[in-house]
Amino acid sequence: MSGLRKYSAIARTSLEITFLYRTSFALNMIGSIFYVFAMFYLWQTIFLGSPGALGGFTWPEMKAYLLVAFLLNALMTWFAEWNMSVDLREGRVATDLARPMDFQASRFASAVGPVPFEFCSAVAVGAVVALMFGGIALPADGAHAAVFLVSAAMATLIKFGLVYCVSMTAFWTTGTDGITVGRAAVQNLFSGALIPLIFFPDWLRAVAAVLPFQGMVSTPALIYLGKMDTPTTALMLGVQALWAVGLILLGRLAWRGAQRAVTINGG
Amino acid sequence: MAANVAIAGRLRSVRRLVFLYLRCLGQQMKAILAYEADFVVLLFSAVIVQFTGFLFIWTIFQRIPNINGWTFWQVVMMYALIFVTEGVGSLFFEGTWRLTNLVYTGQFDQMLVRPVSPIVQVLASAVGFNGLGNLVTGFVLIGISITNVPVAWTPGRLLMLAILIASAATIRVAINLASAASAFWVSSPWSMVPMFVHQLSEFAKYPITIYSFAVQALIVVAVPFAFVSFFPTAYLFNNEAWSAIGLLTPLVAVYSLLVAVWIFNAGLRRYESTGH
Repeated sequence: MSGLRKYSAIARTSLEITFLYRTSFALNMIGSIFYVFAMFYLWQTIFLGSPGALGGFTWPEMKAYLLVAFLLNALMTWFAEWNMSVDLREGRVATDLARPMDFQASRFASAVGPVPFEFCSAVAVGAVVALMFGGIALPADGAHAAVFLVSAAMATLIKFGLVYCVSMTAFWTTGTDGITVGRAAVQNLFSGALIPLIFFPDWLRAVAAVLPFQGMVSTPALIYLGKMDTPTTALMLGVQALWAVGLILLGRLAWRGAQRAVTINGG
Repeated sequence: MAANVAIAGRLRSVRRLVFLYLRCLGQQMKAILAYEADFVVLLFSAVIVQFTGFLFIWTIFQRIPNINGWTFWQVVMMYALIFVTEGVGSLFFEGTWRLTNLVYTGQFDQMLVRPVSPIVQVLASAVGFNGLGNLVTGFVLIGISITNVPVAWTPGRLLMLAILIASAATIRVAINLASAASAFWVSSPWSMVPMFVHQLSEFAKYPITIYSFAVQALIVVAVPFAFVSFFPTAYLFNNEAWSAIGLLTPLVAVYSLLVAVWIFNAGLRRYESTGH
C-alpha cells in the first residue's frame, strides 16, 4: 500500500505546482482558446455557406466536436512533457534513477496529478465558448456520456504512452522541442483534432486508421455524439485499449535501452 | 558639411551593429550545428507542421469551393505568409524568445555592460533552425500559390510581393520583440505573454472576414497580424474590397517596429537586475 502512497504524493505535488504557476496555466489555456475561436469562426462560415449537414455533421454537432477535441487536448498538457525533457537535459534524471520508484509510474503520477484541474478548467472555458456560439449538441444520452468518459480516460492513457515514448528520444538528442512540435502536428491531424476524420479522402483515412492517434480525439468525440453503433463502439474501445497498453509497454522497453545511453552532465 | 559627417557616422554605427549582429548569430549557428541530430529534427518538424496544416486546408476545400469568396490558393497564401514570417523570426531573431530567461537568470546584465545596443544582442542571442524549415516550405507554398491564381505576375507585382513579405516579416519580429519585453515587467522564469501573443497568429491564417468585429479589431489594430497575411494577400490577388489597405503594410511595418523599440526601451528603463 505504501507503494501507491509515494506515487499519489507525486501526483499531489504535481497538481500543487500547477496551482503555483496558475497564471501561466491560465494564459496557456487562453492562448490555445484563440485557436479554438479561429476554428469556430472558420466552421461557422463554412456551415453558413452550405446549409444542412457536412460529412454527416450538423453545426451544433460540429461545435460539440471542436470543444470535445479542445477538452481532450487540454488534458496532460505539455507541462508533463516539458518537465521530462528538461529533467533529462539538466541531468536531474540522475536523482530519479537513484529513487526506489518505477520511473514510468512516477512520470505517470506527475502527469496525471493536474488532470482533474485541467479537466475542470477546460470544461469551464469550453462552456463559455459554447454559450458565445449559441450552444452545442449534448451527449446522446447518459450511457453515451458514461462510455465517453471511459473512452476519454483511455485517450489520456494513449497520450501518456505516446508522450513518454517520444520524450525518451531526449536521451539521444539534446533537445526535444522539435520532436515535441512534430509529434503535436502529426497527432493533431491524425487524431481528428483539426477536422473529423470522415472529411479525409479514403487514402488519408486509411493512414489514420492504422495509427494510434485516432483514439486520442476521434473515438471519444464520436462516442460523445453517438455517431457509432454499439459493435463499432466496442471495437474502437478495444483498439484504444490495445494502443494504450502497447505504447506503455513500448515506453518501458525504450527506458531500458535509454538507461544505457544516459550520460549525465559532468561525467 | 557637419551634417554629412554626422550622417556618415550614423551609417558607420549601423554597419557596425549589423556586423556585430551577424557575428553573434554566426556563433549561435555553430553552437547549434554541433548537435547534428537536433538540427535535423528541428528542420524536419517544421516541415511536418506545415504539411499537416496544408493538408487540413486542402481537406476543407475538398468539401467547399471557397470561404467567404476566398479560394483555396488564396488561403494557402495567407497560411504560407504566417509561416514564412515565423521562419524569419525563428531563424534570425529567435533571441526574443529567450529574453525572459536572460532576465530571470541575470544573464541580461552581461548585455548591459557591453557597448552594443541590448536589442541587437537579444535578437542575436539564439538561432531557431526550425525557422529554416518554415522558410523553405513557406516559400514553396507561396510559389505554388502564385502560379495557381489568375493574376498577371508582372515584374512590378513580383517586386511588391518581395516588399510585402519583407514588411510582413518586420511586423512579425516587432510583435515578438514587444511581447518579449514583457520579461521586464514579470519576474518569473518563463513569461507566457510572448506565447499568448504568438497564438493570436492563429486568427491570421484565415480571411479576417470570417471573424466578429471584436476579433477583427484585435488583429488589425491592437496586434497587427492581419497585415502579416490577410492584407498582403488581398493586395497581391486584387481583392476589390481589401487590396487598397494591403498597400499600407510597409507603413504598418515601420510603425510596429517603432512601437516595439519604444516598449522595449520603456521596459529597459524599469529593469532591475535579479537579486535587487
